[in-house]
Amino acid sequence: MTEHWTVAVGVKQVPDDDEVRIDPDTGRLDRASAPAVMNGPDRNALEAALRLRDEVGGRVVAMTMGPPTATDVLEESVAMGCDDALLVSDKAFAGSDTWPTSLTLAKAAEYLDADVVVCGEETTDSSTGQVPPGIAAHNGWAQLTYVEELEPRPEEGRLVARRDVEGGHEVVAADLPAVAAIAYGENEPRPAGLHRKIYAENEFEPEMATAEDLGLDPDEVGIDASPTQVGGMETVAPADRDGEIVDDAAALLDAMRSEEVVP
Amino acid sequence: MTEIDVDEYADVWVFVEEHDGEVAPVSWELLGEARRLADESGEDLVALVIGEDVDDAAEEAVARGADRVLVADDPVFEPYRADPYGAQFRHLVEERQPSIVLIGGTTTGRDFAGRVAVPAHAGLTADCTELDVGEDGLLEARRPAFGGNVLATILCEDHRPQMATIRPGVFEAADRDPDRDGEIESVEVVVTEDETISEVLEREVGDTVDITDADRIVAVGGGCDGDLEPVLELAEALDAELAASREAVDEGWVENSRQVGQTGKTVRPDLYVAVGISGAIQHIEGMQKSGTVVAINNDPNAPIFEHADYGVVGDLFEVCPELADLAREADDPKEVIQ
Ligand SMILES: Cc1cc2nc3c(=O)[nH]c(=O)nc-3n(C[C@H](O)[C@H](O)[C@H](O)COP(=O)(O)OP(=O)(O)OC[C@H]3O[C@@H](n4cnc5c(N)ncnc54)[C@H](O)[C@@H]3O)c2cc1C
Repeated sequence: MTEHWTVAVGVKQVPDDDEVRIDPDTGRLDRASAPAVMNGPDRNALEAALRLRDEVGGRVVAMTMGPPTATDVLEESVAMGCDDALLVSDKAFAGSDTWPTSLTLAKAAEYLDADVVVCGEETTDSSTGQVPPGIAAHNGWAQLTYVEELEPRPEEGRLVARRDVEGGHEVVAADLPAVAAIAYGENEPRPAGLHRKIYAENEFEPEMATAEDLGLDPDEVGIDASPTQVGGMETVAPADRDGEIVDDAAALLDAMRSEEVVP
Repeated sequence: MTEIDVDEYADVWVFVEEHDGEVAPVSWELLGEARRLADESGEDLVALVIGEDVDDAAEEAVARGADRVLVADDPVFEPYRADPYGAQFRHLVEERQPSIVLIGGTTTGRDFAGRVAVPAHAGLTADCTELDVGEDGLLEARRPAFGGNVLATILCEDHRPQMATIRPGVFEAADRDPDRDGEIESVEVVVTEDETISEVLEREVGDTVDITDADRIVAVGGGCDGDLEPVLELAEALDAELAASREAVDEGWVENSRQVGQTGKTVRPDLYVAVGISGAIQHIEGMQKSGTVVAINNDPNAPIFEHADYGVVGDLFEVCPELADLAREADDPKEVIQ
């Protein structure tokens, strides 16, 4: 059993959802309108991963699949405390849906010899939540999703999670290697230290890997390997609401009565 | 890529999610919608039940519209774990080749759907809110994207099955007809405890409530700061069900089966009262189909007011009790002057 763990953390650069604009003509995301930021739930994943390393010993490696500009989120991860980072970048990945994306990250985890992969529960841009289970499924590893808290048990070769389930909670132990998806907002991500920030921005260079480096055939990834296609997009106008501000509780009750929604 | 013959795949499958003798309501919502799809394409509707002692769920699936039910009944499936469920489901999918597979977008469904789709190299569309079968026989799975501003249609032309998870609350539950006929088949269990790679050490699950049926909802958010009293009082006075934003759930003030939103339930009551809820897009996604929306928030710039019909800018600790009092007075027959 490994005494020190290698923890890989999946992070992703997404358009800032507070700023994101939809082009009213095409119904498509106007990417230029929104600055790229780290996916919010990934900060919770980084924090959970760093805590694992702090308890067990070993190293945390941030990994992302994306264009070279995605280096920014890797630098941010290193500033937060990750020991290293891997940028998986290749034209062959273009058009990947969740199937090839999770395959690529599964291979990246193997390439890093990871004992544990930690991810955020979902991304704010596509919000499928499928990539963490997908990584686990591609590698035949155990998975823990909607995790509130992780407890490493290196002596058992297992990772234990308290996780959210419908109507309550459960505590599940997963054999290593395992993939854990951390529920958004479940921990307080540590701020980046000033020295690490300077190091991350000025000295640090992430390791780079292409599809071939990970042992992937270009046919196995990207649009060719994506079972789903976007057949169309339509803008949906959210329900038209007047947003009439009334003075007080009495006026509110009158309004509700006029709509006949209360007796 | 290996090409498959998509014509060899037929039938619409619905996963019936069962825990401790209780079926997740979304399962019946899916059966209703899947019955429509199966009728349109002239295929069978097949329900899949995995668990321990699940005879009741299997019979109920017939009453709710399934032509056939496949039952994998074994202690290895109780309580739920992703790896044995995934392996059993995948085995059945490979053996029987369904064309469409629908799974509830619960924490359970979202957890194991990928464990079926990945080895099958199937297309999996997450959290759909609309389903249709096009003229070419392809499943058109629609899902909100970019915070609900766009509805994307996802297709899966060359791969099977066409899989989708569907949010709880978007479809009406199938009516039950106890006299319906259907075939229940118990299938071979292909998973053994020795092969599992996970273990449930503890489980604390209370009663799960179904807020998706409620006519009136009072929902509470971070603004209540852990004091639910005024909101519970208002809910009672309005004869409404309590719901919550994710903030209130994450803080542990309200149980998670009452969460409304992108990762919670979709509700469409006649009346939705949002109390101390900011109106984050992930929350709006789950309640925007409500009839009348009312907001109580002390921040006049809170986005919730853009998604409400009526609002009061004020302290919920004052507005809620006052509104509750007034509503109760109105309810009191002595006070109502006809
Ligand atoms: C992947 C992902 C999935 C998510 N899924 C969901 C989901 O399903 N559902 C969901 O709700 N959110 C979801 N969120 C979270 C969402 O982004 C917001 O963080 C959350 O909805 C905020 O909850 P809130 O508005 O109740 O709390 P806050 O953001 O804390 O807002 C509290 C509000 O109360 C007001 N307030 C404070 N005090 C008072 C008072 N005394 N009187 C009156 N008003 C007061 C404040 O002005 C503020 O507007 C998700 C986020 C992510 C990233």
